[in-house]
Order: sequence, then structure tokens, then C-alpha cells
Amino acid sequence: MNIPNSSTAPAAGEYAGDEVSAIVLDPGYWTTRAGFAGEDVPKSVCPSFYGQLDSDSGSQQLFGENAIHNPLGNLQVKNPWGSDGIVQDWETATKLWEYAITSRLTGAKPGDPTKNGLNDGTNTNGDAMDVDMDAVENQEKPLEDSPLLVTEPGWNTAKAREKYIEIAMEEWGAPAFYLQKTGVLAAFASGKASGIVIDVGASHTSITPVLDGMVLRKGVQKSTLAGNFVSEQIRLIFKQSQPEIPLTPHYMVKSKTAVDAGASAQATYKTFATQPTDSFRRHEEERVLTEFKESVVEVWGGNGRLSNGANEDIAKQMPGRPFEMPDGWNQVFGVERFRPAEALFDANAAVHDADHPKPKDDQTIPRLVQQAVQHVDADQRPLLLSNIVVTGGSTLLYKFNDRLSNEINNIYPSTRNKLFAPGSVVERKYAAWIGGSILASLGSFHQLWISKKEYEEHGPSIVEKRCR
Amino acid sequence: MATGRDVRDMLGLPMGAGAGEQAKAAKKSKTTGGVKRMQGVAREVAALYGERPPPVAVYEEEKTYRAKRQNTGPAKKWVQQDFVNQARNDGLVLKHWRRKHAPAPPVQDGEDTAMEETDITGPYIENCGDFNKYNISVDLPTFSDEEYEAHLRSNDWSREETDYLFEVVRDYSYRWAVVWDRYDYQPGNNSALSQEGVDGDDGNALAAMPFAPPKQRSVEDLKARFYDISAKLMKLRIPEMQMDADQYSTYEILSKFDPLLERNRKALASALMNRSMDEVKEEEFLLTELQRINMAANRLDAEREELRARLDAPAPNTQIAAGLQSFTSSQALQTLFSQLFQQDRSKKRASGGGSGPSRLSLNTNDLAQTPASTVPGPISAVNRRQSMALPQSAAAQTPVRTLPPQQERRYNVSTHDRLTSGVSFGADRLVKMRQAKSNVQTQKIAAALHELGVPDLIPIPTSRVGEAFESLIGKVGKLLDVRKVREKEEGEIRVLEAMKEAKGGSSTSSNNNATATDDKRSTSISAPPADRRSSTAAPASTPKTTTNNGTTTSTSKRNEIPDSNPASPLDNESSTRRTSRDPTTTTNPDEDDDQDDDQDDEEDDVVDIDTSHPRDNEEDGDDEDAEGEEESRQPSEAPAHVSTQQQQQQGRKRSASEFSAGSASVGSGVSKRARK
Ligand SMILES: Nc1ncnc2c1ncn2[C@@H]1O[C@H](COP(=O)(O)OP(=O)(O)OP(=O)(O)O)[C@@H](O)[C@H]1O
Ligand SMILES: [Mg+2]
Repeated sequence: MNIPNSSTAPAAGEYAGDEVSAIVLDPGYWTTRAGFAGEDVPKSVCPSFYGQLDSDSGSQQLFGENAIHNPLGNLQVKNPWGSDGIVQDWETATKLWEYAITSRLTGAKPGDPTKNGLNDGTNTNGDAMDVDMDAVENQEKPLEDSPLLVTEPGWNTAKAREKYIEIAMEEWGAPAFYLQKTGVLAAFASGKASGIVIDVGASHTSITPVLDGMVLRKGVQKSTLAGNFVSEQIRLIFKQSQPEIPLTPHYMVKSKTAVDAGASAQATYKTFATQPTDSFRRHEEERVLTEFKESVVEVWGGNGRLSNGANEDIAKQMPGRPFEMPDGWNQVFGVERFRPAEALFDANAAVHDADHPKPKDDQTIPRLVQQAVQHVDADQRPLLLSNIVVTGGSTLLYKFNDRLSNEINNIYPSTRNKLFAPGSVVERKYAAWIGGSILASLGSFHQLWISKKEYEEHGPSIVEKRCR
Repeated sequence: MATGRDVRDMLGLPMGAGAGEQAKAAKKSKTTGGVKRMQGVAREVAALYGERPPPVAVYEEEKTYRAKRQNTGPAKKWVQQDFVNQARNDGLVLKHWRRKHAPAPPVQDGEDTAMEETDITGPYIENCGDFNKYNISVDLPTFSDEEYEAHLRSNDWSREETDYLFEVVRDYSYRWAVVWDRYDYQPGNNSALSQEGVDGDDGNALAAMPFAPPKQRSVEDLKARFYDISAKLMKLRIPEMQMDADQYSTYEILSKFDPLLERNRKALASALMNRSMDEVKEEEFLLTELQRINMAANRLDAEREELRARLDAPAPNTQIAAGLQSFTSSQALQTLFSQLFQQDRSKKRASGGGSGPSRLSLNTNDLAQTPASTVPGPISAVNRRQSMALPQSAAAQTPVRTLPPQQERRYNVSTHDRLTSGVSFGADRLVKMRQAKSNVQTQKIAAALHELGVPDLIPIPTSRVGEAFESLIGKVGKLLDVRKVREKEEGEIRVLEAMKEAKGGSSTSSNNNATATDDKRSTSISAPPADRRSSTAAPASTPKTTTNNGTTTSTSKRNEIPDSNPASPLDNESSTRRTSRDPTTTTNPDEDDDQDDDQDDEEDDVVDIDTSHPRDNEEDGDDEDAEGEEESRQPSEAPAHVSTQQQQQQGRKRSASEFSAGSASVGSGVSKRARK
């Protein structure tokens, strides 16, 4: 904090802040964010993918960035989230989240610095970097003196919500707990209590109407047209292009030499005793695809859809963007770069094959927004439309906001529609966490926590009553 | 440099003794201010301020730019303080960072403080109520079972659902959009749970639901039920009679809620929102169109206004219409003040006592105060000179005093906006007025004046005579304009009629009944310059060909149809005059002059009417003078006299304007005159 003179306390009423060193956990499909409330970025961001090593002595789970990119022969890369955007594998999710918290924030146990994840640099081999969860279990509970705020997707089921509080209270021993929807928190992060939150993450795109800090449940919409879908589209485009574009992840390449655009790669590849698993390879490919999304893929931001009129011709006129694969293969991508993301807005433009049918039209983002607005009381619609908050990693796609704005203005030409998209990447990706950080550090929030005592009195169903 | 004296002068305040003192004081303070050097500012910088340093000290000598970090002993201790929030009743203990409590003696070594720290924080738990103000709960009407049974029953709503509704409303603090969003009443299930306040474990509720699915309620349904109950309860608690205004208005709002109306409104609102791009564009287009039309209408209005002003319609009293806005300039304020002062004084005079203090607190010395009965020499002399210079009736720039209109007239006082320097003669003005821009016009004006019997040199050109002459000239000018228009119109009529005639003529020519005049007219069409006058002057009368001779037949014919030709009643006079002048015009073969002559004909008609005005005015003036004298003796009667006179004058003016408003009204005016 930037207080000019560090010996002076900030004025009490200045921001109604009163930190109780709460921890905010924002689990997503792509990454899990954790950090102390009151800070402006999550201290701990770790992938939501985990590695599973099956051996004779039983299976071992590995967490953290370093573990899951290590090409071990029998390492499976998995994700605890289900296809419906709700946690499926609770047991692993608990461990994963605990890892996210303890590795950087609280520390697993004070006595063993080699295993608490803080001293990764001193370790020599990759296996030891990862926290041995079995050891932790015997220790005292990790969150004994930090209240915990967890975010949840807007469509979370009552059962799942109870699971959250059970984990927090019983497994982690948190003194207080609260559950809040990502949509509301993302709106808070933009300084809004009301608005429509458009969150395009990895597995799901969600539209959440928020009024006075409360989600309008009937209006919550979700679809799977998000980051993973765009990746899938890229894969299809690579596969269908003539000649097929090779997708080689980094771990396979030992060295490469420069080649001309479009020419086949001249690289030497690594050899493995046991080939890494498909899931590992797929996850590594996903990294390359994310790079591709970041640097090449563009959303058609002009008027109307890409397929409209002469738009495609205009797109062809635009200068292309080059991309080089890890193995040295490279090409300038022209109009193709508009195609992967086009289906987010226009289902008909989706690249498809037998295994990957076209999505339905009502899954596209404009239709979702329309649906969401339709389910809100007519009086509130203009208010919500003038506060559209955009968040999630996939909204970082180039020109995404231009297109979104065009589409919304097309649907609602007579209202004042305003998009709020944080400029910085961190704020865009971690908006929900930042909102949580704000909320949990407010003095007025103290009375909202569900205390351990209340949990013990009422059982897990209290979360339905208190966190709404 | 503006001094207080100047300001006072501008405001018209007296230069009393107090003012002098103030001026002295100001001078003193100024000198001291100037002498005093600003501290801590470089001389060059101070010089930039000029004579007057800023009123606020911009620089404090003692302060440096940044507060020096004071060494206040060892670093302040912070502790993680346990606390309970007063808004909670479960005794949740959280920790936040607080300054260490115990006021440690300044000289102490580290070990001691550390020990003390542990001592203090152990048992102490802060009771934090800082944020209690955010712990708000909503007020909700409550009712007992008996009340519900007696008053609140509804066919549509069960008791359980009503309770549930109230609970949801409380939970979401009257946010109806949210209430409706979360409203999920499960009959049967909730009735058992509602006592505990547990609403809706979704999964369980659905599983354990043996009933028909619950009604879908709209926001309006919910609101209607809730407001209905609230209104009834309110009435039960406070009888309608005893409600105060606030309560009653709330009660009215509650009891008058109409769900149907609301629903329709929302339907309209959402329809408005769901318009397509085209519809929105169309609306935009229509709006701009509307704006354009409005602007055009405004312009048209302005043009009409201008036209009316030109035609000398009585101007509306802008002074009153403009209201206070007209008193924005200091000059206007000055006039207002003098008006008020005048009123004040006349009131005082009416009440008989001039000794009481004036209502307006300003000292009246600087206003040239003159008793109403006597006019002091110098002022009247000045005024006379002014009146000689420019006969304008507008308000003077710095009126010494305003006279009532009749007095002004009596004493021959006039006020002027601006005076040109030097002496000017009324006769010069009159001569100037006779001149028009073009020679032809000047000639025409001269001719008109000549016909009216206005001499080239007016013997005593007083300002009033000047005014009268000016208005006469104005009217002459207007007359000429009107005549031109009429000429044009008639020309068109003539052409059209001739065309019609030509058609008819071709058909009637076979009848052999065509008269000589018919022949004449048809020839006049075929050869316009030959005998144009015949057709212009009298389109309807056939014997007009004899104009040159001024025969009696023409006049008799015209008298029969007075409205067809506006000139008819006066034709005797004009025709004789015309005959006298004819030789000059007829010798001129030029067609334009011919037309001009025609115009002159009409001019005669109307100017003839106008000629009486100057004379009338003069008479009026005399009368007024006499009455003015009377009035000075009997002031109370004066206004009535004046107003009737003014009315008469206005009436005359109005009829004059009617003459000039167009040929038709000229005709009617003339007929009126004829009746006289
Ligand atoms: N610069 C970028 N351009 C395009 N896509 C990006 C960019 N950065 C990240 N992404 C994509 O954003 C997604 C991750 O977004 P985010 O972190 O919001 O997801 P999440 O919240 O973990 O997932 P979810 O919300 O589905 O649970 C990934 O699919 C990633 O490929
Ligand atoms: Mg997300």
C-alpha cells in the first residue's frame, strides 16, 4: 500500500476497508486464482489441470505449473471440472485448491521449508517440488486463521454449493466462509453493483445479469462457446487446411532450423523412453494454441458478420499475421485468422466435421445476451445494458470487444449500450478474484461471513440461505 | 483605476460623508498594503503581483515543501487485534491490524515492549461497531392471524404463499426485480419450512413436490398482493381520517396500484427496446424532420411578425412582456429606478404628506428633483434644445426625471437616445424625409404630397410637426408599396381574364354582338402598349375607354359597383385631377411611366383619406394641451381623459393600417369613409 508516511494509519472511513486477512479463492477451468483480500492481484495463479501418475503403489497427483508440463511417461493430465461448468471431481479439486492456497499464501507447515512450495528454487528435481499432500493431511488444518471467500459460477447447483462450505469448514478449518458468484464479483471489480457481466473463460461463456449486487438467476446464461471451443476450431482449421498444418508442442522439439513460410519443418525431435500420454500431449498442444490465439487469431470487428456482403473480401485485403510453430514451421495467416472466433458470434460460420458438429445458434454470445436481457424485468434492462462488464481470458482475443459492441448495438439499437472492459490483461482475466478481494476487505462485509459456529448450528444448507 | 467613488457614481449613490470616510480608509489600507513587503517571496516575484497583492497569503514562511520526517521514537507497534463485530450475534472472532494499545513510555528498550505486547493482546477482544451503520434491515408491515382472516384473505393467494411473499420481500429489501427473480414458491413444502425460514433447497423441493406446479406470478401480481395488504394494514392501523399528508400519499400509492396498467406499461417499454434498427432509424429521421418543420415554422412566424411590424400593427408592450429580463443592463435598471421613484413620489403626494422618508432608500439629491407644478428654466431649455435636435420619443440615456406623457406634450419636452452634436433644423429633417432612394420614388412622393396640399416648405417645423410628417411619409411609402403590389395582381388578373375573354371572344365573335369595348379589349391584349390604361384602371367597367375625357358616365357606372373598384367613391375628385395631369402622361409613350401613372391614381385615393390625419393630429394636440392644463389642476381625472384620447388615436391608426393592409381592406376602409 502506498501510504506516504508508513507510520500513519489510513483514515478509517476512507474506504470502509477493514482487512481481516481473508483469503479469496477463484477457481476456474483454466487457472485457479488465490490471494489475500485487499491486494490487487492474486498472489497465486496455478493451472487447474493436474497430473496423475499411476504406478503400482497407487496413483499420485501432481499439482502446479512445473509438474504438469514435465513429460513423464505415464503422466495423465486431467481437470477436475465437469463439462457442465461445475466441479466434478471434488476430491481432487479440494487438493488442487488447497495447493493453490498453501503453496504461495499460508504455507503448508512451518517446519518443512523444502516442501511448502515456497522454496522451489532450492530443489533439484521436479518431483520434489510438488507438495506431498499426504503429509499435509496430518498437519493442522491449513486455513485455521483466515476467513475464506470462494467464487462460484452463476449456475452452481445447491448441492455443489454445500460442498464448497463443507470443504472450507471441515477440511480446511476456516473460521468463516462466504460464497459469491463470479458475475457479481466481476461487476464489483469494475466498480458496479448492477450490470450484465459477460465472462468468456476457457470452458464456458456466461452472461450474468446483476442487480444491486445480486444475480438475477433467471437471466443467467451459459454456453460452451469459449476459449476451449476456439482452440477446437483452430485444430479443425489446421487439420482441414491443405496441406495440413502440423501442431507440434514444445516438449517434442529438441532443436529447430529456420525454414521458409509454408515449408515443412526441419527440426530434430526428442525421443522418450515411454511416449507421454495423449492427454499430456493435448494439454501441451493447448499451450501452443493459446499462443496462437494470443498472437494471430482476430475477431472480425467490422460491421456485421464476417460472411456479410463484402466483409470477407475486406478481410482478405488486410495484412496477414505470421506464426511460427515450436518446430520452426511458419506461415502468414490471412483471412483464416478470422475464422476460429467467428463462431462465437455466428454459429453458421463454425468450422465443423463429423465429430464436431456446428453449435446451435442460440449458443452464440449475442443470442445469450439477448436471452439474458429477456429474462430481466423490463424496467431494469436499460440500466443493465448501459453497464456491460466484459471479463475472462478469451475476451482478450483481438477486436473481441469491437465485435461484441457491434452485435449488442444491433440487437438493441434504441438503448445506450456501454461496454466496460478493463484495459489491463490481469484485470480482465482475474476480475472475479479482484472483486472478491475488494468485497472481503470491506469492513461492512464482516457481518456477512458464515462463521464456523453458524455452520455447526445449521449445517451446510446455511450457504443457500446466506449467500444469495 | 476604479475607486469607490466611481462605483458609487455608476450606481447613482450619493457622495455622502460616509463615502468620504470610506475612501479615506481605502486609501490608507492601500498605502499600507503597498508598503508591506510580502514575506518569503522574492522581490521580482512580488513585483509581478502589481500594486495589489493577493488577498490570501500564498506562501507560509515557516513551512518547507515536505514535512520532515519526525523522529518520534521507536517504530509504532501494530498488533493483529482480535475483534467481534457488533452486528453479528454468533461471536465470530476475526483479526485485524490495529495500533498497539498500551501507551508505551517513550524510553523503553525492545525486550520490554515485546513482553508487554503479549500481555495485552491475550485477553483483550475489541468490540468493533465501526460498520454497524451498514447493518440495515427493512421495515415490513406485519399482521396477526386474526387480521389475516378478517381482512386479508384472497382467493388467489394462500396464507402460506402470502407469508412466503413477505419473507422474500424482506430478504431482498423490496428490490422487486430480484424478488420476482428469486420468487419460487413450492406449495406444501414451504408451508412446513417457512417457520424455520429455510426457503427452497431446490433439489429437495422438486423431489418432494406432490402438488401441481405452482402458479407463475409476474412482478405485478406480487406487487399487487403486497401493496394491497400493506394498504389494508395501514388503514387498519391508522384510520384514513387521521393520516397525515405523507401517510396518506403513501396510502394512495399503495391502494391505487393497478397491475394491468403496469403490465401494459412494461409491455410498451420492452416493445420500445426491442425495436429494430430500421425503426430506430425511422424515428431518428422523423425527429429530425420534425425539428426541421419546427424551425421552418419559427422562421415563418418571424417573417410574419416582421411583415406585421412593417404594416404598422400596434406593437405589443415589450417592456411588460419581457418582465424582469429587460432589466439586465444598468441603464434599464436606472430607468426602473426612476420609474419606481416617480411612483413612490406621486403616491406620497396623493397621501398629502411629503415629509415621511422615501420608500426607496437612495438619496434623491442626485436626481434633479423638481416640483411638478413649476418647470425650472435651465432644464426646460435643455429639453427644448434636445427636442429640436432629434424628435424621438425613446427613453433618454440618463433621464433626469420622467414626465407623464401628457405633461411631456404640454411642456414640449422630448427625450432622446442619442444626440448628435451641434444644431440641426427641423426644416432640414423634413426636406430629408421627402427624399427617397430613387429619383422616381422621390418624384412620386412629391406628387403625392403635392396632391395632399402639403406645401414644399412647412412654416414652423416643430418636433411634433416633424413626427406627423414622418408618419405621413411612412404611410405614403407604404401606399406606394401597396399600389405596386396591387398593380401586379391586377395585371395578372387582367391577363388571365383576357385569356378567358379571348377564348370566350372567339366563341362570341360569331354572334356579331360584340361591342366596341370588347374589340378594344381584345386589341389591348394583342397590343398592350396601345391602350393599356383602359384595361388596368377598370377591369370590370366597360366604358372606361373614356377616361381621358373624364366623362360622367364612368363615375356613375362606378358608383353602382363600389366594391369592385376601390377608387369609386372618390373618383370625382381624382378623375378631375387626373384630367388636369393627363397631358403630361399621355404624351409620354413609355409603358413604364404609364404604369406609374396608374399607380398614382390609386395613390390619390388612399392618400386622400390620409390627408385628414395630420390635421386631426394637430387638433388632437391642441385638445390635449388644453386638457393637460386642466389635468394639472385635477390630476385624478387625467388618466381617463388620456386613455380615451389614446384609444381614439389608436382607433384611427388601426383603420389606417387597415387601409394599407391590402387592396381589399383599402376598399372597405374607403367605403367606411364614404359612409362618414
Ligand atoms: N491473450 C489471449 N487471447 C486469447 N485468448 C486468451 C488469451 N489469454 C488467455 N486466453 C484464453 O482464455 C482462457 C482462460 O480464460 P480464464 O482464465 O478467464 O478462464 P477460467 O476462468 O479459468 O475458465 P472458466 O471461466 O471457463 O472456468 C483460455 O482458454 C485461454 O486460452
Ligand atoms: Mg472464469
